[in-house]
Amino acid sequence: MKTKLAEHFFSVVFVTVLLLLLLFVVRSSSNAVINKEKARLSAYGDLGFVDFKDSFHKALLKDVINAYYPDQYDTNAVIVNEILASREKEFSEKIQKSYIEEKLSGAKILQLCGMYVKFLLVYIVVMLLTYYGVQTLGVYRFVRKKQMLLQRKKSLLFRSKTAMKAIGTTAAYFVLFSPAYVIAYSIRTEFNTDTIIFMALLGVISNGLLVTYMNKFFAFLTAESRKGYIDTAIVKNLNNAYGQHEKGGISYAEIFRPFKTFDGHVFDHIYKNARYQYLSTVKEQASFLISGLIIIEMALNIHGHLSYELLRQLLYKNYDIVIVIVLFIFYTVKGTEVFVDLLINREEKKYENK
Amino acid sequence: MDASVLKQKDSRWAMILILGLLVTGVWDALFLNKPALRFVVSGFFNTICVALLVVVFTLIFAWIVTLVLNYLESHNRRASYMLVTFLLNTIRSVPQVVGILFGYIAVGIMLQNGIIRGALPVFPLLAVSISVFVFIEFVDLMRERIAHYKKLDFYNAMQVCGISESRIINIDILWKNSRIHIFNKLISVFGAAIFLQCSVDFIISVGLSTDVNATALPATMGSMLANIDSKQDVLAIGYALTHPLYVGNLFFEHLQGLTVAFLIVFLLVCTFHIANGYAQRHRL
Repeated sequence: MKTKLAEHFFSVVFVTVLLLLLLFVVRSSSNAVINKEKARLSAYGDLGFVDFKDSFHKALLKDVINAYYPDQYDTNAVIVNEILASREKEFSEKIQKSYIEEKLSGAKILQLCGMYVKFLLVYIVVMLLTYYGVQTLGVYRFVRKKQMLLQRKKSLLFRSKTAMKAIGTTAAYFVLFSPAYVIAYSIRTEFNTDTIIFMALLGVISNGLLVTYMNKFFAFLTAESRKGYIDTAIVKNLNNAYGQHEKGGISYAEIFRPFKTFDGHVFDHIYKNARYQYLSTVKEQASFLISGLIIIEMALNIHGHLSYELLRQLLYKNYDIVIVIVLFIFYTVKGTEVFVDLLINREEKKYENK
Repeated sequence: MDASVLKQKDSRWAMILILGLLVTGVWDALFLNKPALRFVVSGFFNTICVALLVVVFTLIFAWIVTLVLNYLESHNRRASYMLVTFLLNTIRSVPQVVGILFGYIAVGIMLQNGIIRGALPVFPLLAVSISVFVFIEFVDLMRERIAHYKKLDFYNAMQVCGISESRIINIDILWKNSRIHIFNKLISVFGAAIFLQCSVDFIISVGLSTDVNATALPATMGSMLANIDSKQDVLAIGYALTHPLYVGNLFFEHLQGLTVAFLIVFLLVCTFHIANGYAQRHRL
């Protein structure tokens, strides 16, 4: 565990130093461009007092330069025109960039921190919901499959139910696999899609996240149920009833409760061992979820959110702010990785006698 | 056609995919205007082309990195091994979409500055920027397979027989005994490539179109969906939800956006089921 934590620590330090260096380079290169421009014109002294809108001032400047550098009237005329053009450029750029150019200041960092807290809040909520959803749907699918084995397959009722279920499942798959922006744009005319609640909901149901990891969890349950110790437990008469109305069967209440236990049932062991294996995929799931949330915020242009801000600052080439936002996102992934590693370590101690 | 083929989930979904694409193509040929049809077709093929390139690059990167890690591990180069692992884990910690977004921006800037010209080098570059953030899962799979077989007797037996380690790993473990696992993962990578590509293209077209010239990058289904006509078409779905009588119009008047949205989702669903069915058939 210590090695893992050390690796996380060095990774955080490495990326932080790398991005701070980049920040330094970005800042110095933009300063260098401004200084170079200023240095070229500073050879002619401080011209701050000259009103370039006033034609008398312009003529006076031309005369002064001619007096200083006689015998080069043509060059002097070019220089004056250059100074004028530079002043105009500076002025128009100031107006154009007044609402897009932002510098990384204390206030900006504070604003970014607010957005980050909002991002974290949505992330934690969606992560908890998907963690619950993945396990619940996986268990439900597994139990239903076991129950189906008990039903009479050739009856017309069974076949029509299966057909209806297949249609419903396919429709659900289409929704669950839709990228967030497809779902959001499909219902944008009827609902307000810019709320945090909608964003969290979209994070859970879209981008294929829930289905992909539910399927993984189901695969873990299936693989575990085929192991020898399960057969031994069944032979030794441990409860193995799955029917809803069967004595000792698994009820919906047990499937849907947040902290699942199936005391005295063989499925309890299947579930616990599958959950242990699932924990190792949570890191991957978290990274996928963060990607999904970033896609949602960016694609739907949700103002005042971290990822939208990243996109906006990229567009306006405020790279120092971009670097800070990327650093925030990286810390979120790393934080999750450390948390999951600690969780796995705790479980390892329990199951593998470490 | 042999009915038993359709009983297998992967074959069935592969058939559904082909049939679905054919039906969509015929419907669009009949009811979608020709410029839009050309636009949709080029976007679809560009997306598929980049996704296939991602699959190829992912396989190449993963295979090389796996061999490098295996070499470093078996030759006790602990420092180098830890450095490579550290770098891989650091890439893993960057959310895929963020990494790919920066990759796409870099390609867009290269195109604008004339460093690269034409579509030919653009496709591989876009594919590389996706592969870099996808191939690490593949490395994990290959290393798991190698570690599993190294524990078995046949690995030591083959070494005793004088067979080189590279042959055992490349041919006997990865090719002969893991190609089904590798192929299954490649199907998933194809799906992930489509999803990531469409999402990043959509984001760039919606949010960065003035910074990275969206027209400089080849049109894909993501950028097509961000097109104003397509967005209007997708928005019409919402209208149809509350005005059910309007549903019929969607398939004639809003075909461009509907086709693009359907193709993205349909490809993702089919790829998932094919990979899932393939894993079930081979009991992976």
